[in-house]
Amino acid sequence: MGINEALRLNINYKIIKFFHENQSSIDTPRGVAAWINEDRCNVKRSLEELTSLKILVAHRSTSTTGYSYTSDAKFIKKIDQLLKKRSA
Amino acid sequence: MEEKRDQSDYQKELFERLKKSSSLKKAEESFGALIKPAFWWIIDNGNPALEDIEEIMSINATHFNESSPKKTSECLMHLLEAARKSSKLNKLLSFNCDKTLKGFVYPIIQGDKIYGYIGACYSDDSVSEDALKIFPSYIDTIIKEVQKELELSKLYETLRPRAIALSTVHTVHRLISSTLDLGELLPRIARLSLQVMRAQRCSIKLVDSKRKILLPKATVDVRTKTIRLKKVKVGMWAPGKAFKYGRPVRGQDYLATPLIDGDVIGVITLYDKIDNKPFTTFDQEIMSTLGEQAVIAIKNAQLYKEQEKLTMGAIKALVKVLDTRSPGACKTKVSFIKLTQSIGQELRMDMDSLKSLEYASALHDAGEIFVPESVLKKPSKLTGEEYEMVKEHPAAGVAIIKHMKALKSVTPIIMYHHENYDGSGYPKGLKKEQIPMGARILAVVSAFESMITEKTYRATKTMDEAVSEISDKTGTQFDPKVVNAFLKVIRKKDIIAVIHKELYGHK
Repeated sequence: MGINEALRLNINYKIIKFFHENQSSIDTPRGVAAWINEDRCNVKRSLEELTSLKILVAHRSTSTTGYSYTSDAKFIKKIDQLLKKRSA
Repeated sequence: MEEKRDQSDYQKELFERLKKSSSLKKAEESFGALIKPAFWWIIDNGNPALEDIEEIMSINATHFNESSPKKTSECLMHLLEAARKSSKLNKLLSFNCDKTLKGFVYPIIQGDKIYGYIGACYSDDSVSEDALKIFPSYIDTIIKEVQKELELSKLYETLRPRAIALSTVHTVHRLISSTLDLGELLPRIARLSLQVMRAQRCSIKLVDSKRKILLPKATVDVRTKTIRLKKVKVGMWAPGKAFKYGRPVRGQDYLATPLIDGDVIGVITLYDKIDNKPFTTFDQEIMSTLGEQAVIAIKNAQLYKEQEKLTMGAIKALVKVLDTRSPGACKTKVSFIKLTQSIGQELRMDMDSLKSLEYASALHDAGEIFVPESVLKKPSKLTGEEYEMVKEHPAAGVAIIKHMKALKSVTPIIMYHHENYDGSGYPKGLKKEQIPMGARILAVVSAFESMITEKTYRATKTMDEAVSEISDKTGTQFDPKVVNAFLKVIRKKDIIAVIHKELYGHK
């Protein structure tokens, strides 16, 4: 699955939009679920999916996993364009 | 200046919301049924000029409309005049628009400030002044509702980013406090700092014992995998200065934050933001908070490491004392400790369990000190009484260490390392998962060690013979999972080399 396809799923769109608007954020599945008002299990699944697409970075520890946004400036620009296109 | 701009923004937003308010629309409809208005007006200016007046809605516009500019303009003139008077009186004011139309205007007030006006021109002569008196309370309620909505929305806009930042700080805290391994902790702090600051490079330096040099401990750069680790003299460059003065040092493309725990213990420095923007005061504040968390995690890891060294030192001292009384009886070779650790890692044991296994490996036969040497080294078969003596050694080993609280988790491993997977072992005849995992691992390694180590009372086996015998006893004496892990580990070159070196003096 590519980023275009990922964005078609509403929960993925909401997660990407959240991290795009809050690029300094590092949060757990529970935290992200609260910010975007979605079910935690679904959010957890999407976070892993977006991590495999390198849109997010997973910081894993024994007690929890924190997710943050990609640091790739070119990729961020591309995501910006796609988000604008989707919201238009 | 800033305050004026804020007020103007507030006014603009208030009127935008007012214009879109569904309550206002309903008021226009219900009040409109009463007065049959030609035009509703909303004026987003406390001191309006003709061009400031904006039409928002025309309901039942029977008397004039947008195609009657002259009359509209005349109407506006009357409206403006009434608005000026109304602003002085702070109340609804009626006026005559022309011969056929009447009008009223009401100021929109918050505190002592007039933000604008709302009013209408209407045609119905029969509308009484009393009926018009309902209008202000109607409008006041709507305006209060819109103001509350606006304030709530502003509060949300202000609080949300702060709440998200707070949540980030909390997550970072959880991530860095979940490890006590400095080698894992420092790169993790560097990666998380990079992420939060949206920087491209992060370097963590800790001061040396003489407090003259900052030693590089972890550097992460998203642009390259080749990292040059540089020492920095105290007082030199941004990290050196941040260390020397004990406060953050910020430039366009760097931010050095001291790690302070009473004294400064090191510095986290970030370089080059992803968006090429300069580091800000806000970045500095966030990094100071992260620095405070980092220093606690680093101190905890350092204390844990010291505690570990202390415990291991105590174990080595104990083994040495026991070894002087019965040379070779209680001392486990380093290579076998490494072997147990590798099996534990293969079986994905956590850090605490691995540490307990390491301590248990070093001490597991300490209880043999209480078994007479003649029994331990007897070349022939043990008598029943002698075997009973040997069976006491796990409990005796536990008795030796039971007063050391740091070794509490080690005691079950020592106590049960002679239990067999099928329940035929001692001291309790435990079976399968009843036997602690550490003890099942130690059982395999201890048997392997015994087979290949030179003993006066028994022929030594080769490594291949010993491995084969361990395999044969899988599921009976040994846990199949542990045997599988052992078979994987024992093929590794580094393990073979370390065992060979220790047993035969070569690799």
